[in-house]
Amino acid sequence: MTHPSNPTSSSAVVGQRLRLRADPGRAAEIAKELTVPALFTAFAVYLVVGIVTMEVPAGTSFPGPAVFPGLVAAALLLLAALLVVRSVRSARRSRAGAVADLPESAPGTAPDAAPEASRAPEASDVPVPQRSVRVDWRSMAWVVLSFAAFALLLDVLGWIVGAGLLFLGVAKGLGAPGWLRPLLIGLTVSSISYIAFDMALDLSLPSGIIGWRF
Amino acid sequence: MDVLGLLGDGFAGALTPANLLWVVVGCLLGTAVGVLPGLGSSMAVALLLPVTFSLDPTAAFIMFAGVYFGGLFGDSTMGILMNTPGQASAIASTFEGHKMALHGRAAQALATAAIGAFVGGMVASALVVFLAPALASFSSSFGPAEFFALALFAFVTTSSVVTDDALKGLGSLCLGLGIAVIGVDGISGAPRFTMGVPELFDGISLVTVTVAILALGEVIHVACLARHMQDGRMVQPQGRPWLSRGELREAAPAWLRGTVIGLPFGVVPAGGSEIPTFLAYGLEKRLDARRKHPQFGRGAIRGLAAPEAAGNSTTGMAMGALLSLGLPVSATAAIMLAAFRQYGLQPGPLLFDRSPDLVWALLASFFIAMVVLLIINLPFAMVWAKLLRIPRAYLYAGIAVFCGLGIYATSGSVFDLLMLLGIGIVGFLMRALDVPLAPLIIGMVLGPLAETSLRDAALSADGDFSVLVAGPIPIVLYSVLAVVLAVTVAGRVRARRATRRELRVDAR
Repeated sequence: MTHPSNPTSSSAVVGQRLRLRADPGRAAEIAKELTVPALFTAFAVYLVVGIVTMEVPAGTSFPGPAVFPGLVAAALLLLAALLVVRSVRSARRSRAGAVADLPESAPGTAPDAAPEASRAPEASDVPVPQRSVRVDWRSMAWVVLSFAAFALLLDVLGWIVGAGLLFLGVAKGLGAPGWLRPLLIGLTVSSISYIAFDMALDLSLPSGIIGWRF
Repeated sequence: MDVLGLLGDGFAGALTPANLLWVVVGCLLGTAVGVLPGLGSSMAVALLLPVTFSLDPTAAFIMFAGVYFGGLFGDSTMGILMNTPGQASAIASTFEGHKMALHGRAAQALATAAIGAFVGGMVASALVVFLAPALASFSSSFGPAEFFALALFAFVTTSSVVTDDALKGLGSLCLGLGIAVIGVDGISGAPRFTMGVPELFDGISLVTVTVAILALGEVIHVACLARHMQDGRMVQPQGRPWLSRGELREAAPAWLRGTVIGLPFGVVPAGGSEIPTFLAYGLEKRLDARRKHPQFGRGAIRGLAAPEAAGNSTTGMAMGALLSLGLPVSATAAIMLAAFRQYGLQPGPLLFDRSPDLVWALLASFFIAMVVLLIINLPFAMVWAKLLRIPRAYLYAGIAVFCGLGIYATSGSVFDLLMLLGIGIVGFLMRALDVPLAPLIIGMVLGPLAETSLRDAALSADGDFSVLVAGPIPIVLYSVLAVVLAVTVAGRVRARRATRRELRVDAR
């Protein structure tokens, strides 16, 4: 009776099931499968390097500061290996399945559609629409670069200008039309938040170039 | 009588004009984020955490209680009107709720959901008031071995039992545990994994991680992926937003059954309220099939009432488990635990002795929050639905600004903002590749507890790890865990065999 989508991703929208589709080509498919194991491995390597270079004070008795991180790093490496093995096996199985299907299916149909299409239909009452989407790298660049610029320039620009520009950048990344309207809304949001949090709630936000004029 | 007296003091503390203002603000914010797609109550609490530092603890927690329950009142609105639930706990309510809306009963569906959430929350809060002090005094005898067993229980259930993919769930948990060990080791004083960067000596703040994973990761995810899918058509609610006597009589037993199903799940560290909502939905469906005129599939009011009540009763009990054991059973509760720590408070057995004013005012504010939420949800559900019309670009741009505000206001450093961005990108990758996020948060919050209790237990026994399984409470916990794991594995194996058989039938 559980829903097919991941029940613990607490804030993800779960009604429509998104399936991330890699760009065409085997290399991109492999890159997508290897992202999670690579993430786990990278963090495990960081932990291992830290354990090796750790300066443990003399006289620390047995379960010292390196034991628990060591367990975590070992578990991460093991999980990464298991994920790689699983994706290799399922890739091999789907290729074998695609080859077996070929005589029946029309020539020229995409073989990578076969394993998904042959899966048993959802048991739930409401059909969950599946749509596969490609990563929109342009939007990603807008959001990530605006935030990086905001972080680095905040002390110079000040909160009102910096946060207003961040708003504009993220709104452009989400496909807002026009330039003036998002900029004006952004400056309104940043000014109101400056008044509410810096002046009323005493949180310190940088005043930056606006501050010089006063 | 003693409990009622203490609760009376709590009401006196919570009913000051300033605290009432905060509870209303919390309820409004919580309902708003619950109604909006993709924003759960855990993200709302994470974003508000930095902002509340200038408030006194009682006001801050009263506001959090409003947000916490408000998210659950609002989350079904989107599911009912657009067939896209706002968070995972609203999926079960969506099945029959959306069908009610399609049959022109959207307003009544919203009212059913609001009353269900109210009933579940009220019953759970009342139980918490009477059970939590008893549970707290029981757990005051817990030592390192017991706490390690509890933490391990929470780790295993949240990362592998309630997720689809145990490998990714455990990996997410390990990332959280690993982030938590960065910083100066509390027992030996050795700096760990800091690479000599002074900003890392205090460790990576939980606030930065939660805001990055839950909020900024969601913004990047929506920008790159989610906005490219079509939105469902919104059903315009109209008609009377209250229930007739017949509908009330129809829904009342379902509200009560749902509440009863939800209650026990609040104290089990099994990762939130999705499972009880589905159990309640399944029970109503089976009961319905036996009736003369089955209603399910055509917008059955019971199919909506039961899961809503179950979800909120679980959430209410989860707060009780957090206050009396110090054990968070969901991502939101984990962030609340972090909030307690920011104020130098440790939830658990000692909290009831050390800061009774805060605890009882907080418990009293649960009841106030429920009443306020019923008032702002029952007549005005249609007004809330208008929030769904805010252009998505402006909404998420505002969230990004708020992430920056919260982190800069608490840390005042560019380093933390860049850290926020980096972890936010990791959060985006995890979301896009179906790695569950809740285990990471739980791992980061409970990791230090697990590590110190593991080391304390072994140090006091001269490096002998067998003390961890000495004593009745850990043995009971480990055997329950073994049973849960066995049932899950058996269920998975059976499901896999069933799909293989279907595949074979299809292939023929």
